[in-house]
Amino acid sequence: MRKRTLHRTLRGFWWLTLLFLYLPLAVVVLFSFNASNSAASFTGVSLRWYRRLLSNDVILSAFSNSMVLAVVSSVIALVIGCLIGYGMYRHRHRKLGWLIVLIYLPIVLPDIVFGISEMAFFVQVNRLTGLFQPGLGTMVIAHVTFQIPFVALIVYSRFVGLDPTLFEAATDLYATPAKRVLHFMLPTLKPALISAFFLSFTLSVDDFVISFFTSGPESATLPIYIWSAIKKGVSPEINAIASLMIGAVAIAAVFSMLVNRRQT
Amino acid sequence: MTINKARLAVALSSLMLAGTVQAKEKLYLFNWTEYMDPEIISAFEDKYDVDVVQNYFNSNGEMFAKLNSGGASQYDIIVPSHYFVPRLIDTGLVQALNVEQLDNIDNVMEQFRDPAYDPGARYSVPYQWGTTGIVYNTETFPEAPSSWSLVFDPDVNAGYPFSVVTDGQVNLGSACAYLGKGFDCTEVDDWKEAARLLIETKGRKNFSGFTDGTPTLQQLARGVAHVGMSFNGDYLHFKEESPEAFRNLAFMIPEEGAEMWVDSMMIPVDAPHPELAHKFINFLLDAEVGAQLSNYNYYSSPNEAAEPYLDHVLTIPPVKPTDEEMSVLRFTPSLAGEKLQVFQQLWSEVQSR
Amino acid sequence: MATTSRLRRRYSSIREARHLLLTVAPGAAWIMVFLVLPSLYLMAVAFMTNGPYGLPQMPLSLESFKRLAGFGFLGWSPGNLYTLLRSLWQTIIATGLVVIVAYPIAYYITTCRAKWRPIMLLLVVVPSWTNQVIRTFGWMNLLAPGTPLSSFAESLGFIAPNMGLYPSSFAVTLGLIYNFLPFMVLPLYAAFEKLDLAQVEAAQDLYATPVRAFWYAVFPQTLAGLLAGVVLVAIPAFGMYVIPELLGGGKSLMLGNLVANQFSGGANWPLGAAGAILMLLATFIGLFAMRRIGKRLGGGEQVVI
Repeated sequence: MRKRTLHRTLRGFWWLTLLFLYLPLAVVVLFSFNASNSAASFTGVSLRWYRRLLSNDVILSAFSNSMVLAVVSSVIALVIGCLIGYGMYRHRHRKLGWLIVLIYLPIVLPDIVFGISEMAFFVQVNRLTGLFQPGLGTMVIAHVTFQIPFVALIVYSRFVGLDPTLFEAATDLYATPAKRVLHFMLPTLKPALISAFFLSFTLSVDDFVISFFTSGPESATLPIYIWSAIKKGVSPEINAIASLMIGAVAIAAVFSMLVNRRQT
Repeated sequence: MTINKARLAVALSSLMLAGTVQAKEKLYLFNWTEYMDPEIISAFEDKYDVDVVQNYFNSNGEMFAKLNSGGASQYDIIVPSHYFVPRLIDTGLVQALNVEQLDNIDNVMEQFRDPAYDPGARYSVPYQWGTTGIVYNTETFPEAPSSWSLVFDPDVNAGYPFSVVTDGQVNLGSACAYLGKGFDCTEVDDWKEAARLLIETKGRKNFSGFTDGTPTLQQLARGVAHVGMSFNGDYLHFKEESPEAFRNLAFMIPEEGAEMWVDSMMIPVDAPHPELAHKFINFLLDAEVGAQLSNYNYYSSPNEAAEPYLDHVLTIPPVKPTDEEMSVLRFTPSLAGEKLQVFQQLWSEVQSR
Repeated sequence: MATTSRLRRRYSSIREARHLLLTVAPGAAWIMVFLVLPSLYLMAVAFMTNGPYGLPQMPLSLESFKRLAGFGFLGWSPGNLYTLLRSLWQTIIATGLVVIVAYPIAYYITTCRAKWRPIMLLLVVVPSWTNQVIRTFGWMNLLAPGTPLSSFAESLGFIAPNMGLYPSSFAVTLGLIYNFLPFMVLPLYAAFEKLDLAQVEAAQDLYATPVRAFWYAVFPQTLAGLLAGVVLVAIPAFGMYVIPELLGGGKSLMLGNLVANQFSGGANWPLGAAGAILMLLATFIGLFAMRRIGKRLGGGEQVVI
C-alpha cells in the first residue's frame, strides 16, 4: 500500500520535472510564432519572424559557420582521437598515467579558463608571428582540443569491450597493417566512430564560451549571434532561430530513439 | 592521362583564380549596434565595388577588449567614444590618418578640428555626437523631476524597476552629478562617495540590473523597466520605428548634469585595408551622406556642410540640446595611469558587491 | 642464439615504441600545444604586472593575487571576496538542489519497465543538447516581469510588485539547476541500476522507516554515482559564465564573470588570470577531495574521474 503511494508520488514528480525541463524550450517555440513583438502576451499565430530570419544574411552566415565549425572540428578530432584511443588500448599494459591526465585535462578544465587561455595564447602568438588570426581557424583548433578526449575514450572503451583474440585473428588474416585497418578495425569500430562523431558534433554546437573567446570578425556562430542579439535587446527573431535549433535537436532525439528501439 | 591531368589542373587553377578575382575587397567596420544606415552601406558598396562586413559592440570596453585580442589587425574602422580615443592612441592600437586622402575633411565643424581628446585630430574623425540621459515612463512618473533623483533617490522611485548602463565611467559620473560633484568629477574622494551610492542603489529591491543604452530602450518599451539610461538618438530612432510602444516614454537631461559624447572613426594600426578605410571616412564626410546618417539615427552631426540637408527634428531637442542643457552637459573624462586603475578598482567593487 | 632473440626483442620493443608514438603523439602533441601551453601562458600572465590599459607587462609580481584578495590602491575591500563566496554559495545550493531532484528521478526510472528506461533517460538529456545560450534565453522569457510565473510569485509576495523573477540570483540558481540536472541523473541512474534489491528489501524489513532504509541500504550503494554527479555538476557550476551574465542582470556576479570581465571588458588581464588560477585550484581540490572521500567510503573506483 505504502509502496503504491510512493510510486504514485514519484510518477507525479517525474512529470513535474519533465515540465520543468521542457517548459522554457516550449515557450521559446511558442513565442517564435507570436504575431506581436511582446514577450508577455501571445496575440496570434504568424510566421513573420521566420520570414525575417530567412532574409537575414548575417544569420545565414552564422548558421553556415556553426555547421562548418562542427563538421571540420569533428572530423579532425575523430582522426586524432581514434589514433590515441587505439594507442591507449594497444599499450594499455604500459604505464600511461601521464597520457590519461593529459586526456582528462580538457574535460575537467572550466570552459571559461579554457576559452581565455586559448584567446590569450593565440593573441600572443599572433602578435609575434602573425599566425592564428582569430577566426574559424582558431575556433576549429579550440573545438578539436575539447573533442579529442571524448573520441579517444569512446574508441578505447570499444576496443576494451572486444575479445583480444580477434586482434590475433586479424593479424593472421590480413597481411598488411593497411588491410587490417580497412577490413577489420574500421568495420568493428563503426558504431563507436558514429557515436564519437555525433558526440563531437553535439559538443561543438553546444559550445558557446570557448567559441566566443576565440572567434574573429567573420566567424560568429549561431550561439554567438544569439548572445549578441540578447545583449543588444531581445527581439522575437531570436525565438525563431532558437526554435529552429530546438527543432534540429528534437529531430536528433527522435532519430536516436528509433535507433534505440531497434537495438532492444 | 598526364595531359588530362594537366588540363584538369589548369581548369582548377583558373577556377580558383576566377574565385579570387571575383571576391571583392572587403571593408571591416566595427561599430555600435543600430548606428548605421544600411542604405549608406549599400551606396558605398556600389560606389567602390566592395563588400562591407559589419560587426557590432555595445560598450567601449567591449570594443577595446576585442581590439586588444587580435582585432587591431582585423578591423578597418572602429567607432569609439571620445574618452577611449586617448587610450587607443597611447596603446598604439590605432594609426594616424592620412589627411591627404580625406578630401572632405574641411566639412568638419570648427569645434571638432582640434578636440582635447585628440589634439590636432590626427587620429580621429568625428562620426556623431549625442547625449546620455534618463528615459522614463511618463505614465508611472507623470511629474518626474528633471533630476538624477529619478534613479538614485529611493523616495522618488520606491517600487518601479529601473536599470543603469553598464559603462562604469558613465555610472560613476551620473552618481557624481547627483551628489553635486559634477558629471566629470575625477577626485578620488568624490568617486568613492559615488561608488557607495551606486552600491546602495544596486542593493535596492527594484534595481533591475545593468543594461547597455540601446537594449534599455527595448526594456522600457516592453514595460520591463520604468526608468533607465539611454542615448537621445537611439530613443528617437526607436520611437519613430514603433510610436505605439514609445508613446509613454520620455527622454530627459537631468539638471545636475549628464554625459555628452562624441563618437569618432579611427583606423586600427594593422587594419587590413587602410586605403579603403580612408575612402569610407571620406564618404561619410560628404555633406549629403553625413546628413543621411544623422537623419537615419537621430544624432547630431559634426558635419557643418551637412546642415542644410538635416531633417527638422534634428534641429530641436532632444537631438539638439537647449542652451540650458548645453550648460550642464559634460564630456566623460579620459582616464589614464593610476587614475584609470583606481577607477577600475572602484568600479569592480561596485559590480561585485 | 641468445643474441638474436635479444636483438629481436629489442627490435620489437623499438617497433612497439614507434607504434605508441605514432598513435598517441599527434593527439598528445595537440593537447600539449593547444591546451597545456596556453594554460601555462595564462598562469604566467597572472604573475605579470598590469599594464596601464589592462594588458600584462613585465616585471613579474604578485600584484594580481593581492588584488584578487582585495588589496588595492584604496586599502582592503571585500568585493572579490563577495564574488568568491557568492560563487561557492551558488554552487553548493545548485548542486544540493540538483541532488534532491535527481535522486527520485533516477530511482523512478529504474522502477519503470526496461523498455521505457532508455527513452526516459533520453527525455531527461535532450534539453541539454540545445545550446546553453538558448536554454538560458528560454528562462529569460519565462521569468521576465509580467509573465504568469512572475505574477504568481508577486501575488505570493515573493518579489516586489512590477519586478520580474529575472534578473535575480534566484533566476541564476534556477538556471544552474536546469542546466546541470541531466549530469546528475545519468550517473545516479547508473548506480541505481546496479542496486542490490534484495539488500534493499531486507533493509525495509529491518528498519522501520523508509528514511532509515534509504540511508542504510540505498544511499551507500549509490554513493559512487552521487560523487560522479557532484563532480560533473559542481565544477562547471563554479566557473559558470553564461547563466549569471544573462539571468543575473549583472547583480550576482560569479567568479567566472569576474575572470571574463577582466578580458572582455578590457580591464586587467593579470587579475583575470589570477582568478583563473583560483578556479583551477578549486577544480583540482574538488576532484581530489571527491576521489578521497569516494575511496574511503568504498566503491570509489567507480567514480568517473
